[in-house]
Amino acid sequence: MTKNFLEIDNVTFTASAQNKVSNVSLTIENQGDIICLLGPSGIGKTTILRTIAGLEKINSGKIILKNKLLSSKDVHMEPEDRNISMAFQDNSLFPHYNLLENIKFGAERNKKKKKGLNINEIIKFLHIDHVIDKFPHQISSGEAQRASLARSLLSNPDLLLLDEPLSNVDQSFKEEIQVKLKQILTEQKITTIIVTHDSYEAFYLGTKCGIILDEQLKQFDDPYNVYHFPNSVEVVNFLNRGILIPAKVTGENSLESVDLGTITGDFIKHYPKGSEVQLLLQPEDLEHDDQSNLKLEVVDRKFRGTNFIYTLKTVSNKLIPVFVHSHHIHQHEVDEKFGIKRPINIDHIVCF
Amino acid sequence: MGFGKINIWYAASLLISLVVAAPILTVFSSFFETTGNYSLILKNTFLYDYIYNSLVLLIGVLFLTFIIGVGCAYLVSFYNFPGVNFFKWSLILSFAVPAYIYAYSLTAFFENYGTAFSILKNLFGEGNYNSHIPKFDGMTGAIISISFSLFGYVYVLTRTSFHYQSQNLIELGKNLGFSKKKSFFKIILPSARPAIVAGLSLVAMETLSDFGSVSFFGISTFTTGIYNAWISFDDLTLANRLSFYLLIFILGLFILENFSRKKAQYHTSSKGGFKSKSVINLSGYKSFLAFSFCMLVFSISFLFPVLQMLYWTIIFPKHLADLDLINLFSNTIILVILSSCLLIALAFISNYGNRVSKSKFLEALTTFSISGYAIPGIILAVAFITFISWFDSSILGQFEMNSIKPIFIGSILGLVLVYFIRFYSLASNGIKSGYLKINYSIDEGAYLLGYSKFKTFKNIHVPYLKNSILLIGILLAIEIIKELPITLIMRPFNFETFATKAYIYASQDLLEAAAAPSLFLIIIASFFILITSKYILKD
Repeated sequence: MTKNFLEIDNVTFTASAQNKVSNVSLTIENQGDIICLLGPSGIGKTTILRTIAGLEKINSGKIILKNKLLSSKDVHMEPEDRNISMAFQDNSLFPHYNLLENIKFGAERNKKKKKGLNINEIIKFLHIDHVIDKFPHQISSGEAQRASLARSLLSNPDLLLLDEPLSNVDQSFKEEIQVKLKQILTEQKITTIIVTHDSYEAFYLGTKCGIILDEQLKQFDDPYNVYHFPNSVEVVNFLNRGILIPAKVTGENSLESVDLGTITGDFIKHYPKGSEVQLLLQPEDLEHDDQSNLKLEVVDRKFRGTNFIYTLKTVSNKLIPVFVHSHHIHQHEVDEKFGIKRPINIDHIVCF
Repeated sequence: MGFGKINIWYAASLLISLVVAAPILTVFSSFFETTGNYSLILKNTFLYDYIYNSLVLLIGVLFLTFIIGVGCAYLVSFYNFPGVNFFKWSLILSFAVPAYIYAYSLTAFFENYGTAFSILKNLFGEGNYNSHIPKFDGMTGAIISISFSLFGYVYVLTRTSFHYQSQNLIELGKNLGFSKKKSFFKIILPSARPAIVAGLSLVAMETLSDFGSVSFFGISTFTTGIYNAWISFDDLTLANRLSFYLLIFILGLFILENFSRKKAQYHTSSKGGFKSKSVINLSGYKSFLAFSFCMLVFSISFLFPVLQMLYWTIIFPKHLADLDLINLFSNTIILVILSSCLLIALAFISNYGNRVSKSKFLEALTTFSISGYAIPGIILAVAFITFISWFDSSILGQFEMNSIKPIFIGSILGLVLVYFIRFYSLASNGIKSGYLKINYSIDEGAYLLGYSKFKTFKNIHVPYLKNSILLIGILLAIEIIKELPITLIMRPFNFETFATKAYIYASQDLLEAAAAPSLFLIIIASFFILITSKYILKD
């Protein structure tokens, strides 16, 4: 007996010889938790979902949902018996039924449970009410994807699996749908695993995030920790939100960098004095100061609406990203000098 | 446990394929048996002729059916011109005319002092018209008869495929700067390839097993050779061996096609974004050319033989009065309903079994078994009778059990079973073609909504493929109505259909008397086509 809602114990997920994720152990403790799996395309994220859903078999380890063994080397519960619902990235709507009929297939399954999901509300919040009587071949891929999501949601499964659920959805209401989706999943306590390559989506929706790289689940933690305390260089590179620069540990709370000089802060891991390390610098770690005497050359400037991301070149030709609020009056052009506030203090120092 | 559920489908599919493959295995086994002296004579004399004539016939028919079938399908699918809606369904009517009846009409019309001569004489008075009227006999006559009788396979399947092509594909071609010609050859035609190949495969198999028209035109092909080996020389083993060569040829075609297709996938994308085709309005000479092409095909394939048969029926009314129409009609319909239902149900189960089990062995066995379509009906019937006789005497006789011969030989059951083996390929290929359009994620979506394999089959696949089923039903009905040798051999005593009646008259050199049953055969087949044409044309 296990008190965990879902347990994946040392499972190797295999779609082909080239596409597998080995020895994954992962636990969802509570009903209603939302897990997001992040990773590059083709790494095997979808295979994980398909295997949990019962569409693929396993040769090692076991998958247990609500104390029921779903898969092991010798056991394979059929997908239709698992009460797991999945919204595919390529929609799997039945082509000979219109959208409403398709969605009702989900509601039908939910009949006996009588949970409070209203079909009309779901249709409305997913912005598919205007195409509800159309057939799958008459609608856009984004609309098909949302209809598929509606069908899965309405089936009110024990476990909901969403494969890139919003990848084809217009940016204009993507965020709105994300907010509402999270609200519904939380209110209805629908335990969900979401596969996405959008880290912002994963950080917003997930109670925990898993990073899959090099055929492995590299990190499984809550979103804040995944972002701020990545456990490997590979995760840093994958998230692509910071840079590693060489530095030397000079004390309990300080290190020295050729590029930026002295940096202070709390190390999340102990390094002996004198250690040569790679320091993780994220865009928000450095502050801009026009008066500072530490000036670096601007090589690029990205306007992101709420902020600018400046890319600065250091003396050792490292390219450092720096976040600046977009209301900052003094904009710096490429090739201009950009001041970095000193002394540099970082909340938590992550090194490798 | 889930494995058990899959195995039921696997076992059902395996069993069906094995039953259909049994006669082929019988034919293969003949390779190791001793044949009579006729075998040696044949090797030294006619074998080369059989091969040469069969190849010429096959190539000629494939070429003509491809041009006519794909040409008509392309015109009615992509263009709007006067009469296009009429041609969409009327071109299918050619299915109603068997090649042997077409051959009678062709000869009767163009022969010396035939119908063409009578028309010219009535119009312009006496004259030496015979030397100016072309003669379509021999190989040319056979190729024309078979092609105009069979092009419908290519037309129907290609048209369906064109219908499901998204406008996106065509616009993509335009976007890449393709001319109309290049779009046709690079996009439209290749994406309809499975349908065209399925149609041509059926045409090839029908052609190679045709007996009525080639024997009428006196061409020596494998089929006539098989017939002669059995009827004239009483050498069943040699007949089987010749069938074996035919089979090898058909299997070669299948393998060639499968290799050339490589791993290309043809099912309709269900990612959304499908856009219905916009039809191009033709005007001026282009509109006239499109109309003329379709009208010419319709006239030659359907109007011509119908009018010829009608002409004979009218000028020889006595033969019509002699027919027991109610009996002939009910016999024909009973056979159609029983056989079609059995064929569609089992072909469906077998295809779904293949899909669910994803077994390469089963896939290969199915491909192998459906090549039995190339075995001439006459061989199938004889193989079936031989097998039942052997089983009766060797197995049941041992245990002193009652004979099963009356149940299977000279009975409706036996007749339907041989039809089943003969036409399984048609049913199976049709359903397979429909299945190619259903993405696997559709099945998986259903499973994840709690649908079992059976419920997915019943509630998702069957409704989705209902138009395909109807279409296959029509094709089967027409084939069964037209089928001759199996019905002749396997039918109960005094059990007549329109086809057997027409054949018996024709074999007695009473072509005029054969006209009335032939005409009724065409009318019934046309009726089947018309009542279901709205499903075929449903856009």
